[in-house]
Amino acid sequence: MAVTLPPGLPREALRKDAARNGLTRSRAAGRILRTATAAALAVWFVLPLVPLGLWVFADRWSYPAPLPQHWGLENVDSALSRGAATGFAGSLALGLAVSALATPLGVLAARSLAFHPSRWSALFSALLFAPLALPAFVTVFGLNVLLVRLQVPSSAGVVLVLTAYALPYTTYVMRLAFGAHDLGFEEEACTLGATRGQVFLRVQLPLIAPALARAAFLAFLVGWSDYLVTVLIGGGSLVTVPLLVASAAAGTGNDGIVAVLSLIALAPPLALLLFAGMTGRRRPGARP
Amino acid sequence: MKSPRAVGSRALIMAAVTGVLFLSSCAAPPPAPAQPPGAASWEQITSEAKGQTVKLWMYGGDTQGNAYVDEHLIPAAAKEGVTLERVPVADTKDALNRVLTEKQSGTTAGQVDLVWVNGDNFGTGKEAGAWACGWTSLLPNMSLTDPADPLLSEDFGTPVEGCEAPWSKAQFTIAYNSAAVPDPPKTLAGLLDWVKAHPGRFTYPAPPDFTGSVFTREVLYSVSGGYAKVRLAFDQGAFDRLTPALLTELQDLKPSLWREGSTYPKSSSELNALYAGGQVDFTMTYGPAELTKLVTEGTYPATTKVLTLEEGTVGNASFLAIPSTSGHRSAAMVVANLALSEEQQAQKADPAIWGQFPVLNPGALSPEGRALFDHLPSSPVVPGYEVLSKNANPELAAAWVPALDEAWRRHVLAGN
Repeated sequence: MAVTLPPGLPREALRKDAARNGLTRSRAAGRILRTATAAALAVWFVLPLVPLGLWVFADRWSYPAPLPQHWGLENVDSALSRGAATGFAGSLALGLAVSALATPLGVLAARSLAFHPSRWSALFSALLFAPLALPAFVTVFGLNVLLVRLQVPSSAGVVLVLTAYALPYTTYVMRLAFGAHDLGFEEEACTLGATRGQVFLRVQLPLIAPALARAAFLAFLVGWSDYLVTVLIGGGSLVTVPLLVASAAAGTGNDGIVAVLSLIALAPPLALLLFAGMTGRRRPGARP
Repeated sequence: MKSPRAVGSRALIMAAVTGVLFLSSCAAPPPAPAQPPGAASWEQITSEAKGQTVKLWMYGGDTQGNAYVDEHLIPAAAKEGVTLERVPVADTKDALNRVLTEKQSGTTAGQVDLVWVNGDNFGTGKEAGAWACGWTSLLPNMSLTDPADPLLSEDFGTPVEGCEAPWSKAQFTIAYNSAAVPDPPKTLAGLLDWVKAHPGRFTYPAPPDFTGSVFTREVLYSVSGGYAKVRLAFDQGAFDRLTPALLTELQDLKPSLWREGSTYPKSSSELNALYAGGQVDFTMTYGPAELTKLVTEGTYPATTKVLTLEEGTVGNASFLAIPSTSGHRSAAMVVANLALSEEQQAQKADPAIWGQFPVLNPGALSPEGRALFDHLPSSPVVPGYEVLSKNANPELAAAWVPALDEAWRRHVLAGN
């Protein structure tokens, strides 16, 4: 988790301190080490994606050829004709819905845990984190009977259950953010005559924005990557990318289609991560 | 990309299914299998079916099977006024789990209208009253099947009793790379000898994988002196008498297996990947239909051939079952009937489309239907059903399967 500096603290001051302490020389070595580690990590993460990328365009790739013998778009075609587009739309809708519900709920829960501690706080924290501790299969199996009996539409059921699974993540991220949050800023704004709306929009929101983006991203991932809840509670009404990947990966000779579907599954989280990373980093230094 | 949560939980599925069955049997004894809406004529059913949507849950790992349903069965159903939707699952157990949940909550408008099923999934479901029963006799196209065909009246020892309509036949098939095995064995005992003579070039998926489990049953038949020596219905006496020879044989085989038997492929698709990657010279499948495509597309070596065993191999049939919780039973019956038609069965049997063996009785076909089958191209890899199913062995009753799997785990996997 990145450390969010209070907006008022000048970074330059820190740097000057470091220079005066004679830390500059060891920093060069540190930088090389850091770059090397980053490069090694990048290779570690990117290397497995290389065969995946090759498989996408490999119409024929038989053992022991080191590279595909025929290139083409057959895999993309067959993935599309097997419902990749609707699966993508389904996953996207599910991820966004879970994110839209779990993020504000997480903010509320975290804010009250951070600023209104009571003797029940520990109990509430435990309850919020319970979905992570219990095996999903057990919870889902029990809940499903209830949801079907109450005639909850299956898509709504999926969103509800996944929101419960996303809550621990959003609450945790927001709880950390509020831990470093100084209520004094809000009080000061009030003293200066800001309305409640202004305080929310111009003080609170900018302060928690990076954490908010991270929480929303994690909640999105919970919906985006789920298999079990979607298949059991969704009852086939919602066919998402993980469902397509799992069923294709269960067979033989589907490497190309699995590669296409996996890349489809990878793209939105990656794009969101880059976006969240950029907004998250810019915020503290964005002061004029 | 399966989420780790899903993968971890999948291991629990067996346990949980058993648990739920146990719970539900505590709550109330499983009722008699539900009967179809009373005294419906086929005309009534077809008119009721118009405008209904049928969700067909099926294993989605077979791209040719998916393509057949999408491009042939769905358009044909649309002509009958039925919207057919295919729900792909990684494992048929996912469908059964959904049906059991719906059953438990007492819904009659469930999300599963048709399931591609056989074997223990069917047996488990039937025991729990998950299937609608007694409806197949209403299907006009059932007259094209042979009522005396044992493969269609018993599904792994569970009487079918009209709880599922036949769809395809399959024959357990061992395939080999003829470039590496120029002089292939002709019996299963011969295959085991070949394995001992060529260490590291053979393995089988670890039971309870479906395919690995079938392989152990083939070995059981072989070491017992043929299937006729093994009682199909399970009894503990026969089990205690017959399995020591099987377990000794498999233990003796272990050092000659791939990686000296220190590990086994977890699933048949892992074994297939080993075969595709040239690490072993044999693979095995209960769906020989896939071989044609895998060889044509170059996943498997072009020198892949099917091993025909003198004593034959086990065969089975797979079915379409309607859950008792389905709210679109009439439309599901229309689809099941359609899937049994001469045109659909012939298209499905075309190796270029899917290559699944038909369930129809050749003697009952119309002249046009016969012509459809006569004109089917033959596969360059897989021999016809007549050849493969020669001396076909019957499957053991479903109760044998978990007992053998457990014995294998204790004595072969864990033993030394």
